[in-house]
Amino acid sequence: MRLFDDQDTLDKELARVKSEVGQRLGMISADIPLISNLDVWRNIALIYEYHRDIPENKAEVFVIECMRRYGLQNIAYKKNIFLSEEERFCVMLLRAVMLSDAVIVIDRPFKIMPYLKDTSFIFEAIGKVDDLFTLCYIFDYTRYKNRYGND
Amino acid sequence: MLSTAEYVGKTTLNASKSLQDTFILAFNILSNFFDKKAYNSASKMVLINQIYFTAIQILPLFLSVSAIMGFSLTGIFLHTLKELGLAEYLGRIIMGFVVTELAPFITVLLLALRSSSAMNAEIATMKVNKELHTLEAFNIDVISYLVLPRALAGVISVVLLSGIFSIVVLATGFASSKLIFGMSLDAYANLLLNSAKLSDIIILIVKCSTFGFFITLIPIRSGLNASDEITSIPVAVLNGMVKVFIAIVVIEVLTLIARSI
Repeated sequence: MRLFDDQDTLDKELARVKSEVGQRLGMISADIPLISNLDVWRNIALIYEYHRDIPENKAEVFVIECMRRYGLQNIAYKKNIFLSEEERFCVMLLRAVMLSDAVIVIDRPFKIMPYLKDTSFIFEAIGKVDDLFTLCYIFDYTRYKNRYGND
Repeated sequence: MLSTAEYVGKTTLNASKSLQDTFILAFNILSNFFDKKAYNSASKMVLINQIYFTAIQILPLFLSVSAIMGFSLTGIFLHTLKELGLAEYLGRIIMGFVVTELAPFITVLLLALRSSSAMNAEIATMKVNKELHTLEAFNIDVISYLVLPRALAGVISVVLLSGIFSIVVLATGFASSKLIFGMSLDAYANLLLNSAKLSDIIILIVKCSTFGFFITLIPIRSGLNASDEITSIPVAVLNGMVKVFIAIVVIEVLTLIARSI
């Protein structure tokens, strides 16, 4: 977890991490939305299919299996607009971990889920897919320090 | 006077820039066309979906339009030819005008109205919603994932649907010729085969492919040029569709010139 005073410093650090890890970077950010005309599972599978050239039927089975970790298999065939903020966050997280040796960066999670009081949901969600990524950063503003508690 | 000259100059510069950008995008697509890496699993699925949306979903409407137009047009042509005593030109008119000119033109008009406008709005919406940023963030090449499969689907769809239109017109043409001239199937088939020229077929395929390529490329480029504001979506669609119409006219004129040489 890294906290920054302002957006400029945060953006600079984000750019540094980006240049360091290159194509392994899986971003979870409100500025990197789900694609609205794709079903939820296709949003996740797109990364898996594109970068690993996996056939769609195999990708679908794998993605649905991953969604089962969050009990979200029932929303797999829905579109982004029908998701709750928490569901959207989990889908973005799954999308990010589809990269090989993924280094995931959760950019200002409270921008995705503004009503969240603390980070317990975030860390629980990360824990459920911790076998699918190598490193995880959370970037946020110092003003949200109290929401992070002692984590 | 000066403001008029300024306006003309500005319009010409904008049009030249737009044309240049279109050709640059076309070159990028064509260079990806021969790159095996561009045909990954995700892009192949986009291609299949686009062929379904462009060529399959439209089939009931398309078959009805081609049957109605084929029957009425060939009926009018045949009746006029009979009245003018020009029955010997029947095959040439059906093959030279209806199949090589009318079929691609009607096909491209229907597809432009239905699919080009949809693609234009889709890409512009993606731009406004920052979804193109998503592709960039995950290192997904916009050309190979978004543009190439759509352009390829456009080419395949226009070629196939023009072929279907031609077959339907020829079939309805037989019905008309039987009614008006009492022509047998053998005589009708012979007439058409004698009038068919290889050069016409080649020009037809090239023309359909060019139509298909540009009626997808232009709206996509227009969508990509939308700004981040939601109000830019209708503007992008409007601009794109006007350019598509101009492109259709230009390609039509160029192929007419090519055929006359």
